[in-house]
Amino acid sequence: MKIISSYSIKGGVGKTALSVNLAYALREAGERTLLLDLDPQGAASFYFRLESAKKFKMRDSQSMAEGLRKNIRESDFPGLDLIPSNLEYRRLDILLDGMAKRKKQLRNVLEEFKSDYDVILMDCPPNITLLSENVFRASDMILVPVIPTVLSQRTLEQLTGFFRDEELSAKTLRPFFSMVQKRSKMHREIMADLPASHPGFLKTAIPFSADVEKMGLRRMPLLAYAPTCEAARAYRALCDEILAPSGSRP
Amino acid sequence: MQNKENVRLLLPAALGPEFLREEWCGEIPQEESRVLIFWDTFEWGLWFGGYLLYSCGGSYHLCLRDGGWMGEELCREKGGGARRFWGEFRTPAMRTQLQGVLGVRGLAPVVEGTFHRLQDELRNELGKIVCRLEWDSISAGKRGGEELLHTCRLHPLLGYEAEAARVMARLTLAGARTTGDGPLELLLRNSGCTPRRYTLRPPFGLKEGTPAREAVGRIVRTILGIAASNLPGLLSDLDTEFLHDYRICFRKIRSVLALVKGVYPPEEIGRMRTILGDLARQTNRLRDLDVYLLAREEYLALLPPGLRPALEGMFRDFAVEREGEVRAVISRLRTPSCTALLRELEEYFGEEMLHGFAPAADLPVGGVAFRRIHGRYKKIRKLAGGIGADTPDEEVHQLRIQCKKLRYLLEFFSELIPPEEGGAMQKLLRRLQGRLGDFNDASVQQLSLLTYWQEKGAGSDVALGVGGLVSILYQRQQSARALIRQALDEFCGDATAALFKQCFKTAVSAPPTAPPRSSTP
Repeated sequence: MKIISSYSIKGGVGKTALSVNLAYALREAGERTLLLDLDPQGAASFYFRLESAKKFKMRDSQSMAEGLRKNIRESDFPGLDLIPSNLEYRRLDILLDGMAKRKKQLRNVLEEFKSDYDVILMDCPPNITLLSENVFRASDMILVPVIPTVLSQRTLEQLTGFFRDEELSAKTLRPFFSMVQKRSKMHREIMADLPASHPGFLKTAIPFSADVEKMGLRRMPLLAYAPTCEAARAYRALCDEILAPSGSRP
Repeated sequence: MQNKENVRLLLPAALGPEFLREEWCGEIPQEESRVLIFWDTFEWGLWFGGYLLYSCGGSYHLCLRDGGWMGEELCREKGGGARRFWGEFRTPAMRTQLQGVLGVRGLAPVVEGTFHRLQDELRNELGKIVCRLEWDSISAGKRGGEELLHTCRLHPLLGYEAEAARVMARLTLAGARTTGDGPLELLLRNSGCTPRRYTLRPPFGLKEGTPAREAVGRIVRTILGIAASNLPGLLSDLDTEFLHDYRICFRKIRSVLALVKGVYPPEEIGRMRTILGDLARQTNRLRDLDVYLLAREEYLALLPPGLRPALEGMFRDFAVEREGEVRAVISRLRTPSCTALLRELEEYFGEEMLHGFAPAADLPVGGVAFRRIHGRYKKIRKLAGGIGADTPDEEVHQLRIQCKKLRYLLEFFSELIPPEEGGAMQKLLRRLQGRLGDFNDASVQQLSLLTYWQEKGAGSDVALGVGGLVSILYQRQQSARALIRQALDEFCGDATAALFKQCFKTAVSAPPTAPPRSSTP
């Protein structure tokens, strides 16, 4: 089982669009996929027409797994299940804080789902908390959407700095360009330079697309309603790249 | 992905997707019609093995059988054209699954039905699917005639089990039920076709006191019925087992008539045995060719790779010869004279037929059979004493024949023998027959190969292959000879002799009662 997370300190960079469409592409590729919506905003859940998850009150990792399991919802697309978001997740930090090995507990919890899923994909909120640290330590791969702008570039540097300071494995960080506008000179220049300083940078870039924005109206993944548009093809290519044997390591 | 149990419901005809739209959203789906052709062997190997194989729209699907329903699909294979043997399937999963179940048996369509399906999705107020349903209307044949069954399968979604339970409750209130015959059972019943266990060793319903003629007549009629059931498959050359079993049937009938003497007038029974011999003889060459061709891979594997191409030519010759021989056998079996012979047999052994006097006709079959069995066993013991390392092949062959006769007797009258003792005897006899069979096969095959080589005047390559194979078969024969002695010691030893004596002593020691006069025509 692979654990992948979609993460950025910065909001509005395409994390949720990535989670929703990558989850869809993974099940298309035959991977039994569980999408865990950790963002209290619940946008990923909204795109799949799901209501909030029920509350769960537990102290140890085993019952936390049970609580999560009770909240699993089968999506409209066979092979893809979700654990919808809930405002209660803001308390996860407190729950984790009270546990032994508090920075590594999430991995133990997710291991409970090993026999049921090939991939667990986490859509994370844009902040650095104890939950984020757990996500970093639990993930085999952290996908970081980067809009080719100076601010996004700076955010990526902050994240790599945090990994260095906390002695986290930088190899798991896999940035990729998101919301790319080819006509923008700045986008082109940043895309030419930035990957050189980040060995794990993925080759696939997701273009900016009005089709992606319509996900809110259609309430389903882009790949389900516009499977052949340029952005949908890019999400599939990204999925192929990370599933390729060489994709999991820089 | 966690397990969610699907629920199958049998529905009143009027119940459909519209019924659930009062409570759930979702478009009424379009109907799709599919014609499913179900396949099985003559022995219903798939059915009794717990599988169903059907073809539909150019694909084959292998499922587990859940009563008369299609259960979990194990594998599927795309590709048109009829597949008869497991080796004609291409996907490894399909080949592996089918090989064990089908063996050398061929597949034939058993029934077909039209499935009208509606793939339905029920949605909640957010537009999220909360339950999937498959509505099926099943009718016989390709044209979708009268509806035999109306069903619905509920597929609950994980996290929405309560919704599925609500759907089920609504349907149950409207008359749906969970138990009843599945589509396959109904399609088969509609076509007058029932899966039945096939065996060459059926029970005959004999008792010790059954009059011998009645018992033998019952045995012959039952076996003739088995032969007749194999005839259509033989005439269509579906697989080689039809001929194999057809020949065994005639051999068994000939045996029972020869072994249980005195129950029919000898001149009449002589005629019947001649007919049976004639019917079997005309298929001799075809069976020989089948045996060679079935053993093709085994034979080739015996040779070093360099010699194998030399033998391929021989198998090609056999395959070509078989094509001609099959046509000849089929046309012979269809001739009026052959049909008349078969009819004569059936009529002679018919229940209504009156026969002339025969001394053992009305004797209780138990005594008659037990004397024959014990006599045959003693004969084998006597022959066995002379079997050694230098015994000519022909004498070993004679011993094999005697063993086969005893085996048939034990099978025919197995209902009269205590099961435990009968089982023990048959087990020992089977082991001995296996060794004798290996010996005989190796001997006969050497002769046949050499005959082929001589008749063919084959070139040096073929001679090389045949020579190599004959050498290996000779070594096999010698190894088999060494093993025969051990099996003979077991079967003819004092312990087994005591077992035979214990089982058949009463019959042997009791003097035969004077038979009442048999009815005359």
